Amino acid sequence: MGYRIAVDIGGTFTDFVLADTDSRTTTTGKVLTTPGNAAQGVMTGLQQMVSDPSSVDFFVHGTTVGLNAFLERKGARVLLIMTAGVRDAYSIARGDRKTLYQVQYRKPERLVPRRDVLEVRERLRYDGSVLEPLHEEDFEPIIQKICAEGIQSVAICFIHAYVNPAHELRAREILNAALGKDVSVTLSHEVSREWREYERASSAVMNAYIAPIVERYLSSLEQELANFGTDAPVHVMQSSGGVIRAKTAREIPVQTLLSGPVGGAIGGVALSKATGRPNLLCVDMGGTSFDMSLIIDGKPGVSNETEQQGLPLLLPLVEIHTIGAGGGSLGWLEAGALRVGPQSAGAVPGPACYGRGGTQPTVTDANLFLGRIGTDARLGGWMQLDYDAAEKAIHSVASQLNLSDVDLAEGMLSIINAKMADAIRTITIQVGIDPRDISMVAFGGAGSMHAVWLARELGIKEVIAPWSPGTFSAWGMLQTDIRRDLTSNFFHRAVDTTPEMISEIFDRLVTEGQALIREEEVPDEDIYFAMSADIRYIGQEYVVTIPINRPFDIATIDADFHAAYKVRYGHSTPGAPLEFVNLRLTAFGRLESEVMGFQPRTDGANPVKGTRDVYFDGVKMSTTILDRDAMPIDTYYEGPLVVDESSATTVVPQGYSVHVDPLGNLIITRKD
Amino acid sequence: MSTKIDPVTTEIIRNAFISIAQDMNATLIRSAYSPIIYEGKDCSVALLDNHGNVLGQSLGLPLFLGNLQVCVQLTAELYGWDYFRPGDVFYMNDSYMTGTHLNDATVFAPIYWKEQLVGFSASRAHWLDVGGKDAGGPMDSSDIYQEGMRWPPTRIYENNKPREDIIEVLRRNGRFGFLLVGDMNAQVAAGRTGETRYRGILDRFGYDTVMAARDEIFRQSEVLEREAVSAIPDGVYQAEGFVDNDGLGSPPIPVKMKVTVAGEQMTIDLTGSSPQTRGPVNCGFAQTISAARVAFKLLVNPLRPVDGGTFKTLTIEAPEGSIFRAQEPAACQWYFTPLGLLIDLFVTALAPAMPDKAASAHYGDSMVIFIGGVDPRNKLPFLAVEPTPGGWGGYKNGDGQDALINNVNGAFKDLPVEVYESKFPVMLKNYGIRADSGGPGEFRGGCGLYREYSVEADAYTSLWFDRSVTPAWGLFGGKSGVGPDVALYTPDGKEAHILKVNAKPIPNGTVIRTHTGGGGGYGDPFKRDPARVRADVLDGYVTVQGAKEQYGVVIKDDMSVDEATTAKLRAKE
Repeated sequence: MGYRIAVDIGGTFTDFVLADTDSRTTTTGKVLTTPGNAAQGVMTGLQQMVSDPSSVDFFVHGTTVGLNAFLERKGARVLLIMTAGVRDAYSIARGDRKTLYQVQYRKPERLVPRRDVLEVRERLRYDGSVLEPLHEEDFEPIIQKICAEGIQSVAICFIHAYVNPAHELRAREILNAALGKDVSVTLSHEVSREWREYERASSAVMNAYIAPIVERYLSSLEQELANFGTDAPVHVMQSSGGVIRAKTAREIPVQTLLSGPVGGAIGGVALSKATGRPNLLCVDMGGTSFDMSLIIDGKPGVSNETEQQGLPLLLPLVEIHTIGAGGGSLGWLEAGALRVGPQSAGAVPGPACYGRGGTQPTVTDANLFLGRIGTDARLGGWMQLDYDAAEKAIHSVASQLNLSDVDLAEGMLSIINAKMADAIRTITIQVGIDPRDISMVAFGGAGSMHAVWLARELGIKEVIAPWSPGTFSAWGMLQTDIRRDLTSNFFHRAVDTTPEMISEIFDRLVTEGQALIREEEVPDEDIYFAMSADIRYIGQEYVVTIPINRPFDIATIDADFHAAYKVRYGHSTPGAPLEFVNLRLTAFGRLESEVMGFQPRTDGANPVKGTRDVYFDGVKMSTTILDRDAMPIDTYYEGPLVVDESSATTVVPQGYSVHVDPLGNLIITRKD
Repeated sequence: MSTKIDPVTTEIIRNAFISIAQDMNATLIRSAYSPIIYEGKDCSVALLDNHGNVLGQSLGLPLFLGNLQVCVQLTAELYGWDYFRPGDVFYMNDSYMTGTHLNDATVFAPIYWKEQLVGFSASRAHWLDVGGKDAGGPMDSSDIYQEGMRWPPTRIYENNKPREDIIEVLRRNGRFGFLLVGDMNAQVAAGRTGETRYRGILDRFGYDTVMAARDEIFRQSEVLEREAVSAIPDGVYQAEGFVDNDGLGSPPIPVKMKVTVAGEQMTIDLTGSSPQTRGPVNCGFAQTISAARVAFKLLVNPLRPVDGGTFKTLTIEAPEGSIFRAQEPAACQWYFTPLGLLIDLFVTALAPAMPDKAASAHYGDSMVIFIGGVDPRNKLPFLAVEPTPGGWGGYKNGDGQDALINNVNGAFKDLPVEVYESKFPVMLKNYGIRADSGGPGEFRGGCGLYREYSVEADAYTSLWFDRSVTPAWGLFGGKSGVGPDVALYTPDGKEAHILKVNAKPIPNGTVIRTHTGGGGGYGDPFKRDPARVRADVLDGYVTVQGAKEQYGVVIKDDMSVDEATTAKLRAKE
């Protein structure tokens, strides 16, 4: 027994959660992120929190090192090698437009310019048979170029390699033999075993682009941890919502690309488990964006592909939906009408109340003006907020509309809340869920400030402001299992498919999946699997992924597909012919995951910090301000009230009450 | 409407209308069967008020902008506004009413709230096949009866129940009946999404408030549009181009446009354009209005959502009996070819007034290839239909994009080689960017592409490639892009070049190589920064020879710019 530690490396702060399995206590910590080498910040925090490094049993972290390299376009120069004749598939990028009313349209900026996309001769047919063998001599000029130009990373994507990877595998042997291990080689079929050469090439390129950077970072972290005296293996969060060991993360680092952004949903999964609420809507409202994710039956929604800055990535990803709405959203006028967002004041100048030169009112200014947050709220870098600047900005717009300042400020909040509620309607409708049946979990700097109003608009009965929202993601990571995803292309009409055909594929995938989880040093009794199939009506493009189970039965699968389709789209066509596209296996390795709550202060400190005038529905009300850290477990409070803590403010209007549950979460419900 | 309304409520309702239309569109696209809908975005949805005015519209295919309300209004003209009943859903496709070809299915339904007609949900989507003499629609039709069945507004649901007899007629008259009914269901579902959300708004705010907000929203849109049109210098702007032919061997078909800007008003006059043709390049006036609105929207407030206050500054004129206002029995199957041209011409006409917002012409048309037959692998019939991307025009401070889908084709994605070869008995061994095809300019036109189909079955092909008579032209001294070309190589060693053909039999072993054109250049190519010309050569968009001949830039063997010779060459011109 000892410590289990989770670390969430964000853009500004690195957050820690440490669970002591002996004393059964959980503590949190926070240090500034060290941008040059994120491992330094991690070590600083560990040194503060851990007295006996050898007692660390488990270490997991989420990192944005790869994502930052991608977003800032500071990855490695990548050479992409494709099948002769079709290398331009990468540069053409499928030729589609993502916005339609634009004569000056530009495609998303790809990571590899056309001059760095090279060809070798080889060709497979659709069934994996060899039409033209690999011309090994074609690599000679490529190897010379790599050496001469000091290229660090190569991606290879051959046509139909998802069926037969032999040529890609041989290509790596050739490059490794000539170049040694210093040049990173990414094979498209190892990143994704799916068809569509542009998407697979793009995925391989993204991996190659961040591989050297993630490798350097992980090596540095492992070295530092070893020096510190910790021999627990380093685990890394994946975009899919599962963890893997660093050793595995190095092989396909792009799997960890979005380990930071998916953290909120991971916290939601853990909260779902801890509080016995199977369905949750997680909302994260920060300065510029509003992120939503759904937990259904205790599991996050996971899609099998995504786009990042317009570039496709064929990897499982916890679904996060984002709209441009946040504390920085600007109120502005157009044709005598009031608009709020999507433009944001950003970090500079930021809201008027930051005192950095902003003069237009933002959502944060409205909250400050109405008293929903205090001037001592620690926003945007710990400064004192400037109430007068907020008031001036609000007034400048209100006067042009002949509205009172209070009406304008509340109006801005109503508009932004309605936009967020509409976005929630959209994502819940898309999966066939009624928002009235779920609880909302709100976090992020402004999440629990707005949550009650969103819930009211959507008919949601319960809002949860989780304990320590700043470390919510890290807390979730502590309770996450090992996960590996495997896919096999399986393009068959349902009428031509037998259970034996499906069984044969899954037998292979299970063997592979079991081997992968064993590599993570998980004992066999803790290995478990989930099987699913991508199916569609013949003629369709989008697939619906449905779970399937042994013994496989085509009629059952058929019925399950129609049912799932109907839930998702409101109609289905029983009797219409189906086809399979992919079979998927997710292999899990169960980790210790006992949920431990936090330790509230028991010194009997008074949670009431004082009162403040706060406007609700145009009425000024004297409102209790509570200090969250001093609110004991299992206590109840009645709105109106405001709960302050270091990283968030929770606003509870009259008519609502708050319960501090045994885990320290605030459960907000409507009275009556 | 006398109800007073505050700006906050108006804005909440405005955002809700936009969100409703987006949700309707998401429902339609995610559950549609035909790629032409879910990727081609050959669809459009709208929430309309009880007189057919647009409350919210989602931007699907540009060409369907603003002609859903016409369908509702024409139905009311025929039968009266009291003709609608709760639980109705209507279908119609008549080209002379809806404006487009018969494949485009308009589905709309009245929405009731507290037993009062409060509006309509409406959608339009392209159904892959609606009968007619050739699968997917003929390329050589000479009257509309060869293209399928004309449906006036017809109830497909009554009392919320499908009229199975009517739906069965539809299903039996399409070659892919399941797909057709699936797409119809997706449209009905999209309508239901709109209905549910709209009633939610009415429940929350009440009818009078919602209508007051509507009036205010329309007013705002109109004000913004008047401001934008006023900012365009007054004047008469003109442009002219040609459709190659009507698919039945006609001479080039002229399209003439005169745009008059006077204060807050703009008129697009198509007088002088060709009379309706025997071949299928005609459309109803409703569709011309839509296309003109798309063109307008490209340059005037492109990011603002469309509603009932939009387009009040715009008047469109086209002579009766012209290709833009065709009369029965004109063939309409390939109605969009003149419309893509119309959009390019509008941008060109206004370029002198709006040089920063314009762009040179793009490669121009959908460049469609059909390959069909029986797949020897499973003995089942197959039909592969796809448009092909090409080059777009250069613009102030930016090169046109290479290999991008055409302006009337939504968000169509090419079919991946791996998917194409798995689905069809055809290999795509060569697919790439066509060097030197982009129009030279200070800002280069984008390059077209080539795509090579090796057909491994006895099959047939239909081709519709256009814009060879007036390939993408340049602006402000920029040069034209190279036009399209299609080469057929049959196993007997013969080579043929054909741009348009209907259901031509091709033997097993035939290779078809399509080439799409490049976009027009913008500005004098000799003013292009030699470093950018060099970069294009390194990337292979321009050859060394092209750099010299088109740009006057000499690239040496070590790939550096020969500054002295370049200066000399450029001075000569």
